[in-house]
Amino acid sequence: MEGITKQFGTVVALDNVSLNVRKGSIHAVVGENGAGKTTLMKILYGAYPATTGRYSVNSKSQRFKNSAEAISAGIGMVSQHYSIIAELTCLENLMLGSEPGWMISKTPAIQRANDLAKQMGFQFDWEASAATLSPAGAQKLEILKLLWRNSQIMILDEPTAMLTPQDSDALFASLKMLVDRGATVIVVTHRLPEVIEHCDHVTVLRGGKLVADEPVNESEANLASRLAELIVGHAVTMPEPRVANLGESILVVRDVMVKGSRGDDAVKRANFELRAGEIVGVAGVDGSGQRELFAALYGTTPIAAGKIEFHGASIPATPRERLQAEIRWIPEDRHAQAVIEEWRLDENAALGQQRQTPYSDGARVNRTGRKEAAEQIAAKFKTKFGKISDPIASLSGGNQQRFVNARALYASPKLILAFQPARGLDIEATRAFYEELSSAVTAGATALVVSFDLDELLQYTDRILVMNRGELYDAGQTRDRLDIGKLMVGAA
Amino acid sequence: MNWRLTFLIVGCLAAIWALLSIGGFPVATVFKDMVFGSFGNVKIFSKTLREVAPLLIAGTAVFVGLRAGLFNIGVEGQYTVGALACAAVAVWIPGPVGIVLGTICGMIVGALWAFPAAWIKAYRNGHEVITTIMLNNIATFATTALVAGPLKDPASDNTSTASIPMMLPSLTKKPEITIALMVGVTLVTLLWYWIKRTVAGYELEAVGANPSAAEMAGIAVRRVTISAMLASGAIAGLAGALQVLVVEGRFYKDFAQGYGFDSLGVALLAGGNPLGLIPSAFAFGAIKKGASFITVEHGVPKGMTLIILGFSIVVFAAMRYRKQAMRVSQ
Amino acid sequence: MNDLITLFAGTIGLSAPLILAAMGGLVSERSGIINIALEGKMLIAAVAVWLIGVNTGNPFLGLAAGIGAASLLSVFHWILTQRFAVDHVVSGMAINALAFGGSNFLDKKYTNPSQVNFAKFDSWLYWIVAIGLPVVIWIYLARTRGGLRLMAVGNDPDKSRQMGLFPQRIRLFSLVGTGVFCGIAGSLIVSYAGSFNDGMTSGKGFIALAALIVGGWRPMPALIACLVFGMLNQLQIQFQGVPVAGVMVPNWVWLSLPYLATVVALAGFMGKDRTPKGLGKP
Repeated sequence: MEGITKQFGTVVALDNVSLNVRKGSIHAVVGENGAGKTTLMKILYGAYPATTGRYSVNSKSQRFKNSAEAISAGIGMVSQHYSIIAELTCLENLMLGSEPGWMISKTPAIQRANDLAKQMGFQFDWEASAATLSPAGAQKLEILKLLWRNSQIMILDEPTAMLTPQDSDALFASLKMLVDRGATVIVVTHRLPEVIEHCDHVTVLRGGKLVADEPVNESEANLASRLAELIVGHAVTMPEPRVANLGESILVVRDVMVKGSRGDDAVKRANFELRAGEIVGVAGVDGSGQRELFAALYGTTPIAAGKIEFHGASIPATPRERLQAEIRWIPEDRHAQAVIEEWRLDENAALGQQRQTPYSDGARVNRTGRKEAAEQIAAKFKTKFGKISDPIASLSGGNQQRFVNARALYASPKLILAFQPARGLDIEATRAFYEELSSAVTAGATALVVSFDLDELLQYTDRILVMNRGELYDAGQTRDRLDIGKLMVGAA
Repeated sequence: MNWRLTFLIVGCLAAIWALLSIGGFPVATVFKDMVFGSFGNVKIFSKTLREVAPLLIAGTAVFVGLRAGLFNIGVEGQYTVGALACAAVAVWIPGPVGIVLGTICGMIVGALWAFPAAWIKAYRNGHEVITTIMLNNIATFATTALVAGPLKDPASDNTSTASIPMMLPSLTKKPEITIALMVGVTLVTLLWYWIKRTVAGYELEAVGANPSAAEMAGIAVRRVTISAMLASGAIAGLAGALQVLVVEGRFYKDFAQGYGFDSLGVALLAGGNPLGLIPSAFAFGAIKKGASFITVEHGVPKGMTLIILGFSIVVFAAMRYRKQAMRVSQ
Repeated sequence: MNDLITLFAGTIGLSAPLILAAMGGLVSERSGIINIALEGKMLIAAVAVWLIGVNTGNPFLGLAAGIGAASLLSVFHWILTQRFAVDHVVSGMAINALAFGGSNFLDKKYTNPSQVNFAKFDSWLYWIVAIGLPVVIWIYLARTRGGLRLMAVGNDPDKSRQMGLFPQRIRLFSLVGTGVFCGIAGSLIVSYAGSFNDGMTSGKGFIALAALIVGGWRPMPALIACLVFGMLNQLQIQFQGVPVAGVMVPNWVWLSLPYLATVVALAGFMGKDRTPKGLGKP
């Protein structure tokens, strides 16, 4: 790929970027959120056209109009959130888009699927619904999908984002196997250890520009910190380790059980206590019951058993009462749960506290108070926006997340429940958020944070709880990735 | 404006033009008479205003639902049962008391008629479009049976109730402004204040714009859904009641033909602001009156009215959603 | 015994247009397009079949015109929802209005009162098609490439695009399918009645849609739901004016029965939510 530039409206997402990937290598593309990594890959995959620039595949110049053309040229892509359709079976997902014929006969298809799985050492129940797959299982199915299409060039976007450390290692072992057989792999990631350990070559993007392109030299002593500097653009300062000064008990969860949407026990007997002054992380593979636990804490799902105490008394029943009791949350799905996209910033600022000051007097909207609050919220994490009366949809995803995070920290909350608060944030913004969270808990609040990024939790939280298939374990003060990883898969 | 939308507008106009000219009608005269038929003189204009009032109120009913994310196609049925309830009460209790009680009964019955759809939507996730359409049909059968049976005017051969002894007077004569029109404008103004300035209105719009975000914001989504649907039904009932009290003076079989569809168009054209309902209802009233004028004047089949309204909705909806799509993509 | 035979035959006759329309709705909704325009598509087909059937005296041309008219309206539906991103319910309402108005206009303008020789196929031919169609669609969805892609697009258009599919093309194909099935249904309705009447589909499109929803968007359960609705209708015809268990059920209750049953079915519609996940999404 040479001289690729991509503009979205007036925003330049990629500025004259070149990428040269050698056949039979694992090539890492690293950079912060918004650096243009995914955009570059989507151009190669035919999802977007490049504004200018050209690219060639196997020395043949190409200009894909859509993904179908890229697929037939031997390129496959696994996106961060997978392209598996939960309502179809595993086999149907495997075939989708390149079925063997207009009639589908299952027996030969399953035969070929099993052959491919065996090559990789995987095992699948092909007739099962894809909704039952774990994140690691889904990732494996995605790799088989690439093989099914005879993809020679495989693009993986943040493939380990949802995986445990153990599953990540297994994934790279599989990729190594594919590369040895002649495939070419491009991995988009922000995790430097896996770049250094597993990749042959690394390309660094920053702000849409190419800043480095070099072979990975594992023996270089300070490679990780040098790459980190290249990614951020300046020296990375590690935060001061926090000393949690524990205060009164704020939240007590006793033997809480929560049913999942399919009637299963999504949370089995959760027990923990949060005290003023601490930030507690919840680690675990996606789908281990974090969502249901948080829904029970928000009050949107009833608990099947046990009890939740807040400030020594039973927690109020409804989400509205909990919000009024100064419990705040940062929901997981910003687009669907945290903001109303077509609404203005000030209207979104009030969402959740609409009946409280300064947003209203309980019945009538206080438009001045709302506007002032919105301005303070936007200023907290330097949200970039045009006017306070612009729809929040006009902000980029990262800026929306800053706004949502700041809203949860506005006006001295007592308990902050954050589900993936760093999603879409770059390193600086993530650090700024946790610093503010830290000062909020120092001022007497407490916080519970779910993240699928174990490194983020290790870096910023005081204590880690681990969830696995609905069981909750207290990992205590341990900082050992592999120990926590074992708890995440229930191997401890 | 972009070429695609222009193409759609030109295409719709061309389709109407083609239908008329192939049908052998003098197209230019027909179009001119359409305008005359709605604005020609004070008398004609008064008739257009009469048409605007029920459209405005019924359009408000649909609008309240739409803001809460509900397609109340059932306005037609709620309007029908509201009108019958009001006519029955006003015949039974003559005078101002009957008029007031009739209006209240019309609203209550309209809300009750919306209740099954509201409950099924909130607690069973059954789509309100289907349930309200079914309830419209039931409303037609039930009211027809009632005016053919127990509520029939014994002194007449028509399937209708007796005429009510006292109707609501007009406020002005030239052009005629009816009480219904005044109620409609007042209602829209109040609704504007309620939606844009109160927390309850804020919560209603939150439920309509994004129910899961509303739930996370501590809003009781089911309660808001049910209240919005009941309010919508009550307003539709009010529209029917006032139509009896101001224009018709009685209830008869097939009282509400087409109002469900027209009011949906009025509400859609209004966009996101309640005040938009006033020009929108006015435009619809004018189109309806003009189109029915050309049916009489030129013998254009009455289907033409629906064709014109249908294309209008297509164009308005395309414009509106384009704007929204552009805003989000920025 | 005679009653039972009448009930059976009547049920088939009354269900057939529902089944055809419901299958039209199924291919559309499984591909992600909410379709409340089944009613209008049947109606426009009915008037086309009537006018062409009378004027050419050729039943093949009549049927073809019906299918063509409904498909054309379907393509317009596709343009509105997929090209102009108009809300699916709104565009469906508009199409119904256009079909009601258009069929009235065409019928009033072009029906020649002196010619009443309506060339049409026998109803039983349609009945066979109606009973067979759900099976064909069931096999199509479960066993063919086209069916798999249709369901994929209906569940998640974005992910399908990533897998190299073209959701808009697949939806165009589905909507033409809707047009064809509604065309056949409209043709059956007008052939059975013997002449065109304003609004003669009388809500069958909505009942069909309800049957589709109650049947969980699956061909065979939707078929059964259509048969139940058809039977309720037949019961109404057979038993109105006849006391049932000593009670005289008012006529309007009998007439309302299919609609009432729909509301009750939706109220009791429990179990798994099978709504296609991509319904109404761009």
